[in-house]
Amino acid sequence: MTFLEKSNWVVLVVALPTLLVYVAVVAPQVLGKPIAEVSWVQPMIFAIVGFIVANVLGNVVAAASNPSEADKNDERDREIDHVGERVGNWLIIAGSIAALVLAMTRADHFWIANAIFLGGIAGALLSSVTKIAAYHGSFQRW
Amino acid sequence: MVKPTLVTNSIRSLRFANGEMTQADLADRVGVTRQTIIAIEQGKYSPTLEMAFRIARVFRVPLDEAFQYADEQE
Repeated sequence: MTFLEKSNWVVLVVALPTLLVYVAVVAPQVLGKPIAEVSWVQPMIFAIVGFIVANVLGNVVAAASNPSEADKNDERDREIDHVGERVGNWLIIAGSIAALVLAMTRADHFWIANAIFLGGIAGALLSSVTKIAAYHGSFQRW
Repeated sequence: MVKPTLVTNSIRSLRFANGEMTQADLADRVGVTRQTIIAIEQGKYSPTLEMAFRIARVFRVPLDEAFQYADEQE
């Protein structure tokens, strides 16, 4: 497994629990009290910082497991990365458009921030799943 | 992304004909990862024209001896 593939596994392994923990903390509040009283800023900051830190640590561990491969990548890695990012970006764009619409309709800050946050996390997940699928399946340009 | 390719290759037989060259050796000489050589051999990845030339050059054979393009009518 190349370092870039390991790196995508790290994103997948980190992003999924991040999303699930955030939803587990915030969703019960959304169902149980008015949106204005939902405590979401701190959980979101923890989720974003936790995702970044865990991602960095995961990449360090992946690089340390095989240092000679850590800086190796080739055109196949770059093409797979490009395709994965392009697919993932659709969800990030969708989250941004949703946030724009929510802002235009004067929705609560909660919904605007969460549209961007969920779009970003879902985009990262879709991007890494796409790349891992490309690494294991057939990836053709010709 | 997953459409089947008509490009086939003889890399495996060329490796064996060249002193049983390992995939890792070939990868080093071409300047790619071993995983990419494996993917090319298995027909899961079609290399760029430049990489295809580099692979053929390692074995000192013409490009169409290393890579073949099947007739769509076949």
